[in-house]
Amino acid sequence: MWSYVFKRLLHMIPLLLGVSLLTFLLMSLAPGNYYTALLQNPQISPDTVARLKAQFHLDQPWYVQYFYWLKNVVRGDFGYSMAYHIPATSLIVGRLWNTFLLSFFALIIAWGVAIPLGIWAAVNKDSWIDRACSLFAFVGLSVPDVLLSLLALWFAAATGWFPVGGAQSPLYDFLPSAQQFWDRAHHLILPAIVLAASDLAGIMRRMRSCLLDTLRAEYVTAARARGLGEGWVVYKHALRNAINPLLTIFGYSLAALLSGAFIVENIMAWPGLGRLTMEAFFAKDSYLVVDCVVMATGLLVIGNFVADLLLAWSDPRIRLK
Amino acid sequence: MNLLEIKNLKMDFGADAEALRAVDGVSLVIGAGETVCLVGESGCGKTVTALSIARLVPTPPANYVGGEILLNGQDVLKMSNGELRGIRGGVVSYVFQEPGASLNPVFRIGNQIRESLKLHKPEKATNEEVIRLLKLVGIPAPESRIKNYPFEMSGGMQQRVMIAMALASEPKLLVADEPTTALDVTIQAQILDLLSDLKRRLGMAILLITHNLGIVGDMADRVAVMYAGQIVELSPAKELLRRPLHPYTKALMASVPKLHGTADRLSAIPGNVPRIGNFPPGCRFAPRCPIARPECSEKIPELVEVEAGRFVRCPFWKNERENITAEAPRRGDK
Repeated sequence: MWSYVFKRLLHMIPLLLGVSLLTFLLMSLAPGNYYTALLQNPQISPDTVARLKAQFHLDQPWYVQYFYWLKNVVRGDFGYSMAYHIPATSLIVGRLWNTFLLSFFALIIAWGVAIPLGIWAAVNKDSWIDRACSLFAFVGLSVPDVLLSLLALWFAAATGWFPVGGAQSPLYDFLPSAQQFWDRAHHLILPAIVLAASDLAGIMRRMRSCLLDTLRAEYVTAARARGLGEGWVVYKHALRNAINPLLTIFGYSLAALLSGAFIVENIMAWPGLGRLTMEAFFAKDSYLVVDCVVMATGLLVIGNFVADLLLAWSDPRIRLK
Repeated sequence: MNLLEIKNLKMDFGADAEALRAVDGVSLVIGAGETVCLVGESGCGKTVTALSIARLVPTPPANYVGGEILLNGQDVLKMSNGELRGIRGGVVSYVFQEPGASLNPVFRIGNQIRESLKLHKPEKATNEEVIRLLKLVGIPAPESRIKNYPFEMSGGMQQRVMIAMALASEPKLLVADEPTTALDVTIQAQILDLLSDLKRRLGMAILLITHNLGIVGDMADRVAVMYAGQIVELSPAKELLRRPLHPYTKALMASVPKLHGTADRLSAIPGNVPRIGNFPPGCRFAPRCPIARPECSEKIPELVEVEAGRFVRCPFWKNERENITAEAPRRGDK
């Protein structure tokens, strides 16, 4: 078991290396760099720009840049954001935390609503409850994140019940800690719901179909034949098996949340990793872009890894080696 | 009082105009300690009949439209859910065809057996009792086996676990639905020996569902042959095997391959089993029957006691004109 965990973590290294290398390559294919724009400014001499470029090795080919970056990363230094003028690490940690918060709560909302609804729909198959859930899921699957984010913003603006974008109010730093907590939560609710909504419908439909499949299984009939009550049959025997395929989806769901977070963060002005990546990308803040991509990849790989561990824990037929 | 009395059971799948009759007027009696075989081709309604004894066929889609199922004198079809849970396992236990599919894959077998005990014999829900049951069904080293998951056992061992689980509640009737079909031949014999042995030691009745006539001779006291939702012949096993009366039973017997014989191909019953909802009018076997007459397609014949203890649903059973033997019509001859 522990050797499996160790092995999986080792597997992350080549993956992250590959992703970072590819990102560097793709960034180098786009013309110009962060300082190209400065050359247009007559007040800054080309010498200064050249000096700045040399300081960040931007005058070297991309693979040389890559090795400089890699050398620093090994020592725990993720480079310097040229746009923000601070070390990338401090910038990313804050943003990563925001994205994690957003995704985590979206995950809780999505799964917390989808699983009971899916079970409910399966147990009451073909009832009006089931039909209502199907309709709800159909709408949820059809509405794109972008539209939903915009609708949420409009809703927040129209009702005034929620702040319009951002992660904290302007006076956040002057609030007592209890109110700071409430302020963060208040800002979090709407983006988390929007992000959860896109994922929720799919999980619910999957939960429903998995449970319906297991309810038809012979061991469920066998459990009934032994005289077990219907609740026990559904919640112990059927659900325990139906949940296994969902744990696999959990990994994908994390990926979907992260990519969904890109859109939601950008539209709803949530200062997360997705928004930072976009900003850095447009500013050609190349080291920051690579750092963001590597972090997002890491989050994704760890998410899948956690899903695999959960599945192995839940299904005795799976042995991790 | 008989242990089980099924009286004129009628069951549909679906409702109203689209209802398809799967079981049509089945009556069957099983006395305490008796072994009855229910024989028939796939889709003839034998499994749903057996599942009905504990009302295990989900309703909907199924719909009980008539008849009674008296278990210990009480009508199963009128029981509340609570009463049903009491008889399931308590009076009648089931062993199904696919042991691998009937055991829950994610729980240890000891846990699953203990679950049955907790339900019906709570004072005995201990590891010792589980081990005793596993020993009873002939599982070697049961102490270490209780920690196994079903997928860690062979098919034969899984079926023994299923039997142990069925026995845990000391039922009066064990319904075994093709318990050996999914197992290979040597294991089949072991499981059947185990069932006869347990029956002798525990004195329970067995309803054995099979499409294998070879099993009937070894196991059964009486045999009911089902065809297209109806019982067509009901008879003591020995007499049925020696001298089948209904043309369908004769044809079934003729299609059993013999170890000693010269036939170079198996004889098969011509035509196909009629699909549910598409039964021919009159006698349902008539289109495939070698001795059918025009009047056979007019009215469904009654199941009549023609000799002591022998019931046949064919007015022309005495017709020896065409003795159905290994030279029965072959597939394709019409």
